[in-house]
Amino acid sequence: MTTPTIPPPSSHPGLSPAAAVGAASLWLWMAAVIWAAFLWAPPASGFKNVYSSRILFFHVPMAWVSLVAFLAAGAWSVAYLTRGRRRRHDRAAAVAVELGLVFCLLATLSGSIWSRLEWGAFWNWDPRQTSIVLALVFYAAYLALRSAVEDEPTRSRLAAAYAVLGLVVAPFLFFVLPRLTFSLHPQPVVNAEGEIGMDPRILVVLLAGSAGFTALFFWIHSLACRVRRLTGGNAD
Amino acid sequence: MAEIGGGIGWVVAVNLVIWTGLFLYLLRLHRQVRAGERRSGGPEGSDR
Repeated sequence: MTTPTIPPPSSHPGLSPAAAVGAASLWLWMAAVIWAAFLWAPPASGFKNVYSSRILFFHVPMAWVSLVAFLAAGAWSVAYLTRGRRRRHDRAAAVAVELGLVFCLLATLSGSIWSRLEWGAFWNWDPRQTSIVLALVFYAAYLALRSAVEDEPTRSRLAAAYAVLGLVVAPFLFFVLPRLTFSLHPQPVVNAEGEIGMDPRILVVLLAGSAGFTALFFWIHSLACRVRRLTGGNAD
Repeated sequence: MAEIGGGIGWVVAVNLVIWTGLFLYLLRLHRQVRAGERRSGGPEGSDR
């Protein structure tokens, strides 16, 4: 009489039902955002080149996600420092900063393309442009700090402290500094009078795009953390 | 509704192709990571 054997797990297991539903939903959501950004939302008024305004449906969400990533890195760093110095918190913070830099760079590039179309130059040191460069430099320094320290616990501790400092620096660079002086940059979603002064369809697409990009960030972040853990580590 | 077809339609199609390609890549990576976690004994393990 033979003992039934359990077959080894498939080398390519399918998705769990929840993951399948989530992935399909995200694909549909972003496909709808892309469709709406070009074919449903009206061109923004007050722009020299009305069609160039559609780039904002990607530029704004990417800038938003970079801020979310930097704040998330700060939150995971707080967790690292206060909840037992767990490696996974440090790993999550480092991955969040890396992804935040990617989204921040994409926001900078898309913004400079729009700047060329609207203002005639890719770059003119507008306060909003300057503040995003400062954010890029600040968080690039985070990665430089990690690369410079060989001892893992020391590296993690210093990087965590730096990212916690970023909880103050990032909101200042994204929300305060650009408003301190005159800027050519379009008004933010909530303007200086505390009102939302844009077409409702444009607002809907902006918010939907921001939500979709945020979900995309957390999915990529999860995958990157799991890959890093599987490949042994936390070394930078 | 804004203009349909022509240049805008082409831009939408290109965007959808790029997004679908990125999505399928992430899905493939997700499956590979899951397979790797199963081989290594689970997603958590020792992670101190």
